[in-house]
Formats: sequence, C-alpha cells, structure tokens
Amino acid sequence: MKLEGKAKMLRIYFGEDDKWEDKPLYRAIVEKCRELDLAGATVFRGIEGYGASTLIRRTHHLSFSHDAPVMVSVIDADDKIQKLLPFLDKMVDEGMIAMSEVEVIKYVHQEGARSQ
Amino acid sequence: MLETGPAKKVTIYVGQDHQYHGDAVYAAILSFLFYHKVSGASATRGVAGFDADHHMQTDRILVLTANLPMKVEFIETPEKVAELLPKLYEMAGTGLIEIQDTTIVKSSETTKQAASHEGMPPLKRQGKAKLMRIFIGENDKWHDKPLHKALIESMRASEIAGVTVYQGILGYGANRRIHKDTALHLSHDRPMMLSVVDTEERLRAFLPVLDDMVQQGLVVFSDVDVIKYTHNYQEAERRKVVRS
Repeated sequence: MKLEGKAKMLRIYFGEDDKWEDKPLYRAIVEKCRELDLAGATVFRGIEGYGASTLIRRTHHLSFSHDAPVMVSVIDADDKIQKLLPFLDKMVDEGMIAMSEVEVIKYVHQEGARSQ
Repeated sequence: MLETGPAKKVTIYVGQDHQYHGDAVYAAILSFLFYHKVSGASATRGVAGFDADHHMQTDRILVLTANLPMKVEFIETPEKVAELLPKLYEMAGTGLIEIQDTTIVKSSETTKQAASHEGMPPLKRQGKAKLMRIFIGENDKWHDKPLHKALIESMRASEIAGVTVYQGILGYGANRRIHKDTALHLSHDRPMMLSVVDTEERLRAFLPVLDDMVQQGLVVFSDVDVIKYTHNYQEAERRKVVRS
C-alpha cells in the first residue's frame, strides 16, 4: 500500500451510542474502511461537545450510559475516499462529515516490527 | 466598560417556556449576552400577563403557570446593540424586542480591578501555518521510550510552537492491525495522534528527526490559519516565583 502527495482527510462526527446494524457505528465504519481497503482509520472519543441536535454530549464518570462525542478520521487518496462516501451517507443519519485537503509526508509500515 | 452618557436599553419579552435549541430562550439570550461581553443583563419573571396569542398566563392558578412572561433587559452602547441585534432577533422567536434611548448617570463598577497586562506583550503569531498530524500506535517505542513521549520531547527541543497528543479508541493503519481499547485488556495498543501547529519551515526542518523516529505510521500536513497564539508571561512569572 502506497500513499503519498495530495490526499483527503475525512472526519466524521457522531455519538458513541449511535448504532449501525446492532453494532457501534464507529466500529462499523472502521470495518467498512478496512473492507474497502482504505489506508487507515482512527476513532477518537471526545470529552464534551454538541452537534447538529444541539444537545450537550458529556461523559459521566459515574454512569454507564454515556453518549460521548466520537470522531472518526480517515485519510486516503481522493478516489478511495469517494468510494466510502455513499456508505457513510447511509450509515450516519445524525452527525457531520467534513473533508479537507492534506499532504501526506510519510506513510510507512515495517514488516513484523510490531509482532507480539 | 460602559461610560456615563447616552446609551440604548434593550428589552426582550419572551415566554418562560419558549425554547431555543433545547434551552429556555431567556437563558440562551442571557448566556449569549454574557459571552459577548455585554456589561450587564437581567432576566425578570412576570407574575401574570398575556402575549400576542392572547393566552392569559398567571401564577395564581396552578394549571396556567406554564408559560409566565419573562423579560430580559440590558443597557449597552448603540454600536454594541446594533452588533448583537440580528442574533437576538433570531433567538427571540415569537417574542418582542424593544429598544429605548436612555442615559447612564452612573456607570456600574467592577468589584475587582482587572489585572493590568500593560508592558507584557503577548507572544502572537498570526497567519498561515501548517498543521501536522502524526498517527502512531501507543506501544510504539523509540530507544525504549514511548514514541509519543519521545516525539514531544524532541519537538520541545526543536522549539516547535506546540503539540497535543490524542488517544484513539479504535483504528487501523499501515500494518492493517486493528488497534483497540478493550476494557478487559491489560495490554493496550491504542491509536495515538499528535497534532502539531507551526510554520511550514519549522515543521519541514523537523522532518529529518521525525523520519528517523517514526518507523511506522502516517504523517500528514494541512493548511491552517493561526487565529491566536498567546502566552501569559505574567502568569508564567508568578508560577516560577511560587515554585522557587
């Protein structure tokens, strides 16, 4: 897998409790990215935020039911990202998807460097 | 700070139960005014009243207490009022907004003297800059030290303006291995992202060092506009004194 020069970064914002086919939405998105052979995807959990529905999402330390804001960041060439978009359109029904230009400086992987 | 002399008084009439984006309108207006540095504002609840729909609201009968009239008032300079009005217009919804000319005879005073920042110019760099994001794994090492820590130290040594480390909860990257944060796992290998902002020259100059340290991962650049980059010298001096 090679990735260099101009690329696109997609950031998808939604809630941690959002589901897709009984699975956490963020996991479903990462699996979809792998299926489409995208270069990589990372999920971040926010501490507090609000979004399209303008409800404050907040993580509560003492409660098991939290709906923290979640952001998935995906970087790849424009054509690969375009392939992902129709799926995202279906999967994310409440949230935001933003795309920006990035320049890839380095994308490397060492065979067996992390064998455990 | 308001000075004595002519000013405008704005009164907004809404219902106690009117909502604006999931919040009571009067509370939303108050916090809007607060964060836009209006010198003062107050909300008052009426005991009875009726609105444009001719619904009588009173607190004498329990059933009708639902939507008592609320009044939000503030006094500001005409320029400030003109600046805030479009948003207030939107927030007030079905409510009424009134503006009166008024005269300030005695301005209110702040209880504590604002700390003087004169003679301590804040460090400020504005304009085009680059945002560098580095995606690595939590278990990546550099000379037996966690890679993200080593990167921060080397950036500090290179006088890079600033760096923040984010920890992801799930992800995969160049090596196709899923990084996951499972509650019952003692050995985590979560995805990490370092976000660095500085001028393009500074970041490019740092790349050889980075290249040597990051054996696997992803490094991307994007354009950003620096809006604010400040540092409170006074506060830093004070902390230094406390520490020594």
